[in-house]
Amino acid sequence: MKRYFAVEQLDKKRVSRRRATFFTLVFLLTTIAVWFMADLLWKGPVSAVGVVVLVLFTILFAHIAMGFCTAMLGLYVINRGDTARISRSIEGESLEELPLGSTAIVMPVFNEDSSRIFEALRVIYRSLEKTGRLVDFDFFILSDTNDPNKWIQEEIAWYELCRQLNGFGRIFYRKRRISINKKSGNVGDFLRRWGQSYRYMVVLDADSVMTGEAIVKMVAMMERNLGVGILQSAPRIVNGVTLYSRLQQFSNRLYSPLFLAGLNYWHQGESNFWGHNAVIRVAPFMEHCALPELPGVEPFGGRILSHDFVEAALIRKAGWQVWLAYDLEGSFEEGPPTLIDSAKRDRRWCQGNMQHSWLLFARGFHPINRFHLLQGIMGYLASPLWLLFMLISTMHRFSEAMHPVPSEFAAQNYTMIFDYAVPLPEALALFGFTMVLLFSPKLISLLLELKNRRAVAYGGPVRLCLSVFLEMVASALLAPINMIFHAKFVVYILLGQGVSWVTQQRAASEESDWREAIITHSGQMAFGLIWGTSAYILVPSFFWWLLPVLLGLVLSAPLSIFLAKANYGRRARELGLFLTPDETEPAPVLPLLEKHLEECYRHMQPIRELRQDYGLMQAVLDPYVNAVHVSLLRQRRPGSHSVRKYFIELRRRLLADGPQSLSQREKMALLLDPESMNWLHEQLWKKPPDLLSEWWRLAMRQYNVLTSTPVTALYR
Amino acid sequence: MELPLESLTAFRPRTGTPDQWNAAFVRVEDYLRAHRVHNRLQQSQILHRVLSRAAAQHEKEPHLDPTTLAAEEIDRMMDEWFGELLGDKNLPHERIAIEGRIALQMCDGVTRWPYAFLDMENIPAEFAHDMKRRSVQAGPDMTVTSMVPREIELGTLTEVAGQTFEQIEKWPILRVSLLWAVFLAVLAAVFYTTR
Repeated sequence: MKRYFAVEQLDKKRVSRRRATFFTLVFLLTTIAVWFMADLLWKGPVSAVGVVVLVLFTILFAHIAMGFCTAMLGLYVINRGDTARISRSIEGESLEELPLGSTAIVMPVFNEDSSRIFEALRVIYRSLEKTGRLVDFDFFILSDTNDPNKWIQEEIAWYELCRQLNGFGRIFYRKRRISINKKSGNVGDFLRRWGQSYRYMVVLDADSVMTGEAIVKMVAMMERNLGVGILQSAPRIVNGVTLYSRLQQFSNRLYSPLFLAGLNYWHQGESNFWGHNAVIRVAPFMEHCALPELPGVEPFGGRILSHDFVEAALIRKAGWQVWLAYDLEGSFEEGPPTLIDSAKRDRRWCQGNMQHSWLLFARGFHPINRFHLLQGIMGYLASPLWLLFMLISTMHRFSEAMHPVPSEFAAQNYTMIFDYAVPLPEALALFGFTMVLLFSPKLISLLLELKNRRAVAYGGPVRLCLSVFLEMVASALLAPINMIFHAKFVVYILLGQGVSWVTQQRAASEESDWREAIITHSGQMAFGLIWGTSAYILVPSFFWWLLPVLLGLVLSAPLSIFLAKANYGRRARELGLFLTPDETEPAPVLPLLEKHLEECYRHMQPIRELRQDYGLMQAVLDPYVNAVHVSLLRQRRPGSHSVRKYFIELRRRLLADGPQSLSQREKMALLLDPESMNWLHEQLWKKPPDLLSEWWRLAMRQYNVLTSTPVTALYR
Repeated sequence: MELPLESLTAFRPRTGTPDQWNAAFVRVEDYLRAHRVHNRLQQSQILHRVLSRAAAQHEKEPHLDPTTLAAEEIDRMMDEWFGELLGDKNLPHERIAIEGRIALQMCDGVTRWPYAFLDMENIPAEFAHDMKRRSVQAGPDMTVTSMVPREIELGTLTEVAGQTFEQIEKWPILRVSLLWAVFLAVLAAVFYTTR
């Protein structure tokens, strides 16, 4: 019998050695930098400010060093080849031979664009069909949508998709009446109802796409490695239209292989879960990963918002491994189209990650899981610390300029290495060292692609080099803006101001929203101006050091608008800038999805007067949509007299005064009540015109006049 | 067979005003279009049948609006037709209407058999067969089980901090005051050490 590789066979000592290497490197690099910094600070007497600056610097530099070391270890294993990777367990086998188990592919959604959701499902379904392994998979759209229009669109889109793919009985749709605990509650609700029927669950985000091959391989890896509880893929960012999203996808595609290989090098079986594009072993997940509430109330306590890291820690605590399939092709997601949308998403993530502070000392967690939690916190906490560090340094510099300390070896002229004075300004040396750590992984990634003759997939060597240069300039300008955003979020959260769960804006827009940009960035611009002006007046030499930071802040609003423009993004693509292999040699699912979406969006829009309540209109007026909607609702026992009276009044108002007379909540209440929906459909068609509002009369006359099919996302 | 346009021309209701019957005509026409019945010839045939039956009913109940009667008539005709097709004539109106419409939509009946709509006498065998697949399944059979959150032991330090925060949260003014005090203290410390 053929013996297969399984990750359980890996030597535990080897894993320990890898981690020791990683942390030793981080320690060494941090020590060197701290030594430089201490030397720089203490040319004169030791001061309290100097100590604070040094402590902050140590924390922040260690954070940078971790990224650098991860990338360097990634480079090491990419060149040498890594045998300690989970994909080895299915290497060389054809898709038809791979072992599979019953798998649910779940996609939790909340007020998303239904075209994007269902067209992605369509390409995933078709791609799985091509592998010949579709029979092992069921699909679930788990909706928490509370926008009446989008809810009805989802229902119609699901129904049409099932009809077109003959997917009834394989593609399912579930809408929760009450959305408790957001995404993790939604998935938990699915597991309580249907979890026992499946061995695995593939969790997708509303903007995820995966190839059938990738899904089959991931499930097969789980089948081969029975001790693995979660297998995370490394999704690539795709479908960027604006300059901002193209920058993100370019940097993700070019730089991430190095970091991912490095992460796998030292994470091994204690890797992390990123919430989507992952396979989960259902039984242990259900047993160990139901999330309790944290002490206190939101934003710091209460429900756990960023559930993924905690679930990874809990399943690891129960003895199951978590792996990263870093070298698996065919896993994709989309990024936010603008800087402001990215900040909105970061605000949610920031709150979720800050909550993890509670869990740093939780009993039984694996040290590496604690480290993941700490890194998640530091991802946001680093920003206020950087800001504090820079502000204190500025004040320290101002103070020095006003009360200069005479020194034989002035910091601006020499660097001390042991007892040797090197004629290089020490600050410059430290700056250079930091820059090397920050930018060398990027340059190495570039060199790797050039060396492997992969530059053509990025538009050619010249365009690739130019794109990397421009990306580095853009990331340098964006870094201080993100620093201020994150610092603000952390302070707000500490002051007890929570965030609401808003739908992520995923589509690019042609319009510039200057008002939003100015409101969002005005504080940053003013801060940059004041900081820069005072530095220029008090210590002009220090101003030039601050300039890279100040530029980003002062230009934040126009930069934000410039990067948000879809036409600039398209122009960059035409010029061959920020191209990625996922655009030049895409997996078949990507162009297919793009083509389907183009067809969807070309479809005629409902007339303006009806657009706002088109979903509700269809659910009441269209005989088929009404039938599908009612059949999907759970029948309810007749309510009390007051409840019935409430619904009667709502129905009357809807027909007599139109949907504009009802609040969103009232519309949702009607849509959730099957009796009301039946009644409304019948009465709408039976009532004489003079008893109906003008809105309904227009809707009845206009409906299906110009198109033979109703205007929905899926009719094409 | 009588020509449909002639049949409509021959439509002479004895009760109700022309405006009322015109409104009823428009309503039935809209309703047919909502069912994706776009064929004008077929529309006029059905319209004649519906309006004739509604007119007869209006003579008995002149206080009712012709639009209401016409809508009730077409509903009744559809219930009978769906009952015949689904082989279940005893279902209540709400169920037969829902199941019939879903079955009709699922088999794309209006497009594939355009002349079969509301025709009780000529029902194509394939259409009748396809109409029997009448339900949509939004979810598979449930296998309900529990998924109970387990307490996470946060560690002594965190537990104490948690309890303290919970106490503080009971007094929101104190909480905000404390946070601001910490914030101001940090500012003061920065100012003092760097002035």
